[in-house]
Amino acid sequence: MTIRERLRKFRWWHELGLVILIISLLVAAGTLMPRFLDIKSQLLLSRHIWEMAILALGMTLIIITGGIDLSVGAAMGLCAVAFGMTFQYTGSLALSCVAAMLTGGLGGAVNGVLISKIKVHPLIVTLATYAAFRGIAEGLSQGVSYSQFGEAFSQIARGKWFGVPIPAYLFLALAVGFAVFLSKTPTGRFLYAIGHNERAARFSGIRVDRIKFWLYATSGMLAGLATVIYISRFNTAKADAGTGFELDVITAVVVGGTSIFGGRGNIAGTVLGLLLIHETRLFVGRYWQVDELKSIIIGALLIASILLYRILSPKKGRE
Amino acid sequence: MTIYTLMKRKLLILTLTVSAILLGCSGDKESKPTPIQGGDNTAKTVTVGLLPKIKGIAYFSSCAEGAREAAAELGNIELIYDGPTDGDPKKQAEMIESWTVDGVDVIAVSPNAPDVVANAMKEAMAEGVQVITWDADAAADTRSYFVNQATAQSIGEGMVNVMIDDLGPDTEGDVVIISSDATSANQNSWIDVMKPAIENSNLNLATIKYPGENASQALADSQDVIKKYPNLIGLFGISSVSFPGAAEAVEQTGHSGKVLVTGLSTPNDMKKFVHSGTVRSVVLWNTVDLGYLTIYVAEALATGKFEKGATTFTAGRLGEKEIVGDNVLLGDILVFTKDNIDNYDF
Repeated sequence: MTIRERLRKFRWWHELGLVILIISLLVAAGTLMPRFLDIKSQLLLSRHIWEMAILALGMTLIIITGGIDLSVGAAMGLCAVAFGMTFQYTGSLALSCVAAMLTGGLGGAVNGVLISKIKVHPLIVTLATYAAFRGIAEGLSQGVSYSQFGEAFSQIARGKWFGVPIPAYLFLALAVGFAVFLSKTPTGRFLYAIGHNERAARFSGIRVDRIKFWLYATSGMLAGLATVIYISRFNTAKADAGTGFELDVITAVVVGGTSIFGGRGNIAGTVLGLLLIHETRLFVGRYWQVDELKSIIIGALLIASILLYRILSPKKGRE
Repeated sequence: MTIYTLMKRKLLILTLTVSAILLGCSGDKESKPTPIQGGDNTAKTVTVGLLPKIKGIAYFSSCAEGAREAAAELGNIELIYDGPTDGDPKKQAEMIESWTVDGVDVIAVSPNAPDVVANAMKEAMAEGVQVITWDADAAADTRSYFVNQATAQSIGEGMVNVMIDDLGPDTEGDVVIISSDATSANQNSWIDVMKPAIENSNLNLATIKYPGENASQALADSQDVIKKYPNLIGLFGISSVSFPGAAEAVEQTGHSGKVLVTGLSTPNDMKKFVHSGTVRSVVLWNTVDLGYLTIYVAEALATGKFEKGATTFTAGRLGEKEIVGDNVLLGDILVFTKDNIDNYDF
């Protein structure tokens, strides 16, 4: 094999580009603000991203199939209210966590049924549930915020094992699980087939509907899990939990190289996308101390990543 | 040209561009605050993080103006003024965490939801940061002092009194309070004072609305109550967002003259309503002085000048201010009317 062929076969241009971007960012940030690279504070501030990171795993799989889940942030609001109300009536944190996860799973299942059985486009379905979940959450809770879950519960999000935040272990385990599922199992490979050409996938005997149902249900369950961490971090369960998360999560996945049209993407890219967005936001926030700059820079990143994809991906890999 | 060289060149160009952008954006920012670790000499710079509930609204911008004035007077202050542009208390918590990590000396918080920021504030204190609250208070174990603009008593009674005075003491009818979030500690403490004061008058409190810090929601809620309560004669807009919202709703529905609006906001936001007659009195405190006092207290705490147990505190041009318990009091309310509102610009 010649070098030329080998390079053409090299599938990781996008990831490589992201790594270079992240390294340049860190080098620039470290030069301008040496304490930015301090590992202890990096670990501490990493808690700003774990909920989004968990949601991004489910979102990656969904976008690979050519779908989208706009309802994840709103689902967190619903899960938070379920958590708060369960806590109010039972006083049990364990039950409240279960309630949040079940609510998330149920919400995701509703998406799944509408998408796979009634065959409505995911964009429409989850746009509808995006509004509905938040509305139900606000209606049920009447704007009340539930609080005072105790110091021990705060430790889920704020505690550390061996200097590393507890949610990091959870995310790592989930990310490895999702990556293995996606690249090593037949069902995982089917997701790409569905994203490339759903009709062809159906004709090849892939149970597209069943797979889709479970993808959206999983996304909902992950929202439940993310909510538990979120509530622990802020010691508050309120209907506004996760507001705006869907866009940040989708941004991370797309920056990570997953094609919004489906058929292309992986977990490693998503992890890099999350890292890039998180570090950018941290740097902008800590260096300029101007909150509104963050969203501008994230928007610029999204555009940059699309350009990156255009420049670096081999021609035949493009849609 | 082979793909190999093409890729390599593109990659190189991209890397260079990105690095250039990153460095270019920040080339002229050499004078960023670099908090000094340790070293207890008196000449040390005190970095103060001043955190408003929302950045970019007139109320807090005027506080920031006073804070900048105090920082310039004191000379040893590195002032950081930043806050969420959407008023999300979770972003406040994340900013407190970032500032703590960056070694800020004092963090002055106006918490939008005390529960949400409590953990971050406690962590900051554990890291040796002086944490105070200003404008709105939080739980006593999450901060050392509260710079209190005016007591809940004086504000709550002040609003009810101007309503009764402006309507005429014998007028009977329904009034409605348009508050902020149901969790806002300030608004809730004023409501606690307003309720009995309204009960003791000829007025009847029909309901309380919680539109949050959201202008369009405040407008919608006000329109709802105007429709729902035919005997409505007065609206209290008790946040700087809900007050203009309520006044706008009254004007839009043609109830100006029938429903009187009063409440708490900045003069600039309310001038046009005061001149049109929908609003006769605006209750507030001197917000510029509030920001000013906060910075003086912050500096005194960081340099050890603040004496525990003292009953007064001297703050520059404001002179002596009273300390009650762990509250540093700014003073009384300020009522703006048609006669004096044009003298203020914030």
